[in-house]
Amino acid sequence: MATSSKPDRPVNDNPLSDSESDDSRDEEGWNDVEEDEEDTPEVISLLDDRVFPDVISMLAHCKEKHSFDFLGVRQKLQLDFHGCVKLVNFIRQRVHEGLPVSEDISVADIDDDAYLKPVLDDDAVIIGLFDLPELSAPDAIIAAQSGDNGALVNDLLKRNTELQEQLASVLLQHENYQAAVSKTLDERWGEAGADDNTKKTNQTAGKGKGKDGVEEKEDESKYYWESYAGVDIHETMLKDTVRTDAYRDFIYNNKHLFAGKTVLDIGCGTACSARAPAHPVCLAVDASDIIIKARENIYRAGLSDTITTLHGKMEEVALPVDQVDIIVSEWMGYGLLFDGHASLAPVSDPVWVSENGEAFWADVYGFDMSAMAKGIYDEVRVLHWPGDKVCGTSSAFKMLDLYTTTAADLSFTAPYVSRLTQDVDAIDGFLIWFDTFFSPTAPPSSAQQIPEGQKVEAANVDNHGVPDDAVATEWILDNKGKRNQDLVAFTTGPFGGAETHWKQGLLHCDPHLGEKKDEHSVAVNENSSTGSGNQQQKKKNEEVRGEITFSVAEDNARALVIKTTWDAGRTQQSWALR
Amino acid sequence: MASDKMDVEGAQKKLTDMAHSEQHYFNSYNHHGIHEEMLKDEVRTRSYMNAIVQNKHLFKDKVVLDVGCGTAILSMFAVKAGAKHVIGVDMSTIILKAKEIVKVNGMEDKITLIQGKMEEIELPFPKVDIIISEWMGYFLLYESMLDTVLYARDKYLVKDGLIFPDKATIFVCGIEDGDYKDEKIGFWDNVYGFDYSPLKATALSEPLVDTVEVKAAVTDPSSVITLDLYTCTTADLAFSIPFRLQCRRDDFVHALVAWFDIDFTACHKTIRFSTGPHTKYTHWKQTVFYLREVLTVQQDEEIACTLVVKPNEKNRRDLDIEVGYALQTQDITRQAQGSCSYKMC
Repeated sequence: MATSSKPDRPVNDNPLSDSESDDSRDEEGWNDVEEDEEDTPEVISLLDDRVFPDVISMLAHCKEKHSFDFLGVRQKLQLDFHGCVKLVNFIRQRVHEGLPVSEDISVADIDDDAYLKPVLDDDAVIIGLFDLPELSAPDAIIAAQSGDNGALVNDLLKRNTELQEQLASVLLQHENYQAAVSKTLDERWGEAGADDNTKKTNQTAGKGKGKDGVEEKEDESKYYWESYAGVDIHETMLKDTVRTDAYRDFIYNNKHLFAGKTVLDIGCGTACSARAPAHPVCLAVDASDIIIKARENIYRAGLSDTITTLHGKMEEVALPVDQVDIIVSEWMGYGLLFDGHASLAPVSDPVWVSENGEAFWADVYGFDMSAMAKGIYDEVRVLHWPGDKVCGTSSAFKMLDLYTTTAADLSFTAPYVSRLTQDVDAIDGFLIWFDTFFSPTAPPSSAQQIPEGQKVEAANVDNHGVPDDAVATEWILDNKGKRNQDLVAFTTGPFGGAETHWKQGLLHCDPHLGEKKDEHSVAVNENSSTGSGNQQQKKKNEEVRGEITFSVAEDNARALVIKTTWDAGRTQQSWALR
Repeated sequence: MASDKMDVEGAQKKLTDMAHSEQHYFNSYNHHGIHEEMLKDEVRTRSYMNAIVQNKHLFKDKVVLDVGCGTAILSMFAVKAGAKHVIGVDMSTIILKAKEIVKVNGMEDKITLIQGKMEEIELPFPKVDIIISEWMGYFLLYESMLDTVLYARDKYLVKDGLIFPDKATIFVCGIEDGDYKDEKIGFWDNVYGFDYSPLKATALSEPLVDTVEVKAAVTDPSSVITLDLYTCTTADLAFSIPFRLQCRRDDFVHALVAWFDIDFTACHKTIRFSTGPHTKYTHWKQTVFYLREVLTVQQDEEIACTLVVKPNEKNRRDLDIEVGYALQTQDITRQAQGSCSYKMC
């Protein structure tokens, strides 16, 4: 699956640099590559002062002019690399001392580690020894092959035949295995052909220009599961170390909680979290085909007997037990929600707005393409937003406690308040994200029954030590400001440092809201310094407050509608998150 | 003008007739992100603009067909260059947006937009003088519309008609990419202490679309195939071609990287652009094929390679790709050869 969502390696050229591109193929081609070649050292002859480009030609010279066959000596003495080094230095030493060198050199002559020390500094001959042809078989074996030792030859031939047979049988086994594996993978991964198109249309991967048109999307939820079967997204998720580290730390740091327990991992994915120490019985459930890979991972980790994988939707699979002790899940959707609390902060960035908002479409190479901007303010944009473009304090507007949360809690209205940290010409939108907290203390009253998790629990439990306004990056510190190893939490917000694969959600405010709502008020304000709607200049320390409402989209149970009010309720806007 | 009114009404009816999910697709800003990405790709859009707008003598009073017109920007360039009429064809509902755009820019009497498959629709003109198209996919051929362009050429283009662009060349070079290969492929060997190698084979068989730095290039680039759009046929889109890569320095080769150049030779002065690592970023980036083994190469040695490309039998838009390689060296300790199979889907 080709994708454009992977992190790019740095590119030297500014993609939007405005130089002419009539012919953007640099004619210099590759010349700007650094030429980092080193000068190859010259090879100095062993027996005189002549120099050669390489060892082979130098040795040929020695053989021709001095009747000294270096390779012959090496062959005769069966010298390995170190032997050759000694031989070279032995010869160099003798030449240096003015002594004659003949081919009658014995192993004993050069058997002195002193000869491992180069006589010439940076002797190119020694470096060049790597280039010499391989040593041929020792003479003894050659003699054997010529018939002096028939028994040995027969033995070797027989052994050879045996090995060939073994090889053939192993190859056959391997082929069968390959066929079996590819058949299994075809079955599991190559979904029914009809689904392919639906998948294509939805994937922004590929070059999805919509060339395939729009096919029927009968089952939105099927797409959801399918998108989780690709390798990319699991790499994205596993490489999101903020996320994986947090889950791992929590599970590994709380071994006592897991020992001997039955654990349910909902949406297990590649099953990374399914291994808790002390070998509890573990059930891993995922509706996506990635569970096939998870089975392999589990098998390789030798955990097949403790982890049972179940392929299907949580609501539909039958668990082999009535109750479980612990639920591990990593179920926050892309961009948003719900495991700890959700926060919001106003943002302001005129440059981003001009490059990515309506203004971009108003003049595309001299054409008015405003039609493309339709809906630009209707949907939550999922992106990484830089922390320095956030113009107000964050406001945690919703705490979700998994022990007590019910499906109904996913629809709510909550107030928020943010204090501006700088003067702004306009609030361009609101950024939303969530913080996740892992609490090691279970509330005493919760029955932890599954799968009927929708049951309303008594709400009289505290938040397991997580205050409503906790910020993940601060909550994990002790009173002295040091990292408390018992606490695990992470944020997906713009101030947490590390980016996560959830990114943030931008609620991009429609600058025309005020105009549409009340044209009269625009006229009234015409001469004053303030504009309409959110296009109002605001001062540092001014408060922005209002309400935010989450509801489930009517046409798609996995989609959300988010509504925000601001300016004392005078202005409101809704966005869809699909 | 009357027919145009019907066009707009027809488009509106189409929209109301659409299934709910389709309406969402049409109205969803996020789904149109790819068009934003392509229009923001300056190398691409500006090259097309210059090829068309700077050649008014070629476009004046001509009938032009825009294959896969998308937001109709190329159609509008052609009108600006003096075309008598432009027909834009696209299967996607983006064409409904294109109709709005064309109208807003006052070109509705010059541009006819048709939603449908080229093979199934009927054009208002029996023949066209010029075909313009931006049909290239990743690795040139992945999800490419070239076969549709060739169909349109054979059915509608007048004798001696022009095609913009008319030449596409695939290049390959070898790169040193140890760190990134380790990150992308080696990653699966140890995921938080677990062996995830089942996913490694999958990762290796998927070519990676990404930007490559030119300093990573260990070999000279080699042009593998040039497609001449006036003469090539769909059969030419499946090929097996040997080529040689000459090593520029002593280094390791972890992967081969492929890209393409596009030429508009019909222009008064040939306009071309490249999607290679040596020049400006394009949204096509480059396509990286990781080899299972690492080649240890010395300067001036050659790697004899073969590139085999064919459309997947089940889904013609997917590609089956095979890369054969053999390092030509006297040093038997470094000799290496093999082949790797990839699938772009």
